[in-house]
Amino acid sequence: MPKMTSRFILATLCGLVAPVVLQACSGDQPAAEGPATETETTEMASTDDSATGKGTLEFRANGEDFVRQGFTTKDGWDISFDTVFVSLAEVTAYQTDPPFDAEAGTKVEAKKQVSVGEPVVVDLAEGDANADPILVSEVEAPAGRYNALSWQMVPATSGPAEGYSILMQGTATKDGETLPFTLGISEALTFTCGDFVGDTRKGILDAGAMADIESTFHFDHLFGDASVPMEDDINTGALGFDPLAALAQDGAVSVDSASLKITLSEEDYATFINILPSLGHVGEGHCEETNLIT
Amino acid sequence: MNHRLSILLAALGGIGWVTPVLAHGAHIEYQPTESIQIQARYDSGEPMKEAQVIVYAPDNPSEPWTQGTTDDQGRFVFAPDATQPGNWEVAVRQAGHGDIVAIPVGAEASTVAENDPGASGAEAAPTEEVQPVAAPQTAQISPVQQGITIGAVIWGFVGTALFFARGKR
Repeated sequence: MPKMTSRFILATLCGLVAPVVLQACSGDQPAAEGPATETETTEMASTDDSATGKGTLEFRANGEDFVRQGFTTKDGWDISFDTVFVSLAEVTAYQTDPPFDAEAGTKVEAKKQVSVGEPVVVDLAEGDANADPILVSEVEAPAGRYNALSWQMVPATSGPAEGYSILMQGTATKDGETLPFTLGISEALTFTCGDFVGDTRKGILDAGAMADIESTFHFDHLFGDASVPMEDDINTGALGFDPLAALAQDGAVSVDSASLKITLSEEDYATFINILPSLGHVGEGHCEETNLIT
Repeated sequence: MNHRLSILLAALGGIGWVTPVLAHGAHIEYQPTESIQIQARYDSGEPMKEAQVIVYAPDNPSEPWTQGTTDDQGRFVFAPDATQPGNWEVAVRQAGHGDIVAIPVGAEASTVAENDPGASGAEAAPTEEVQPVAAPQTAQISPVQQGITIGAVIWGFVGTALFFARGKR
């Protein structure tokens, strides 16, 4: 019996020591936040490879309701547009991994990409007040997730917008005064953007289906918006229309980048130039502008 | 520590400890999970209060996985489904301003990812900080290790009981 008891005591000690040893053997196990990197790589690769079919990807350009329906500037001018031409080139959609962050200063790491072949000039004011964003082009594209977009704005080589990357024409009205205006912007711009941010998701293309991806233009950045508080950044950073109205001749404003450099005050011209890189968006998502030539 | 405690309780339950059952008693269970906290701000540093938040899971980026609003500090917390590794996307929108961030989950640990607002632009560019919160420190052991551990603990109790019950020589 004493022998038996000793064995039990020995077994008991082993039983108490074993968990400690096992726990020590398990080592510094990763917490839930630190799984293996290889898992992510594999998963991403398999997701990407699953998109083997093709669909139709529409490239669209959107001047938003500001262009389609008009708006009131921060300094009280009611603006309505007749035409807003934008000259687009090298419009390219990307399937990126990791997702491109326009504000991180990184490069697009594309798994797949599709481009619009030729430069295109479109009128963002085309159609009625509720018109869809303007179709730039549609291309057959590999299915998958197009979560980045880039485009250039270059001076048009022909047509009504010749010489300008942006040409807007319309009417400004304030306190009974009506000024027809033409504003031509000749600066070349290059926008590189991440995923679309808006009411719907865009750029998710299934095989045999159709999806769209959108270049969005925020002209309220140029003129301001009376519908939001004046202390909002959108207004404090905007040029407004007063500086342009002051340049009217014979009851009309007809200016372009070259003339503005001479006629605007130094401060207003700097404001005008600094606004241009913020015109391009993807919905509400921001873009990086990399080619402003002043 | 909690892990060891749970094993001990499991062992005790295995040798006949009974939890009383109440017919109308309230019962709350909890389980620690890994959560992600985002914080959305404008360029000015002002938090995006009560902004719309939409979370998209990697397996279905077309449909919201969950939605909500930020608190008065621009913060929002969600617990991603660990069975869906990949980039979880979180969009925050308010009054025409918006941003989206992709958070890798189930692979490389996400520490803090902060957008670096661009120098130009008239608009207040929203930014989002991402931090994992309440990450459980549960060390993972294999089922075999778990079984041996539980068995050893039970055996330890049995041995101890027999030691004290051995009587005088």
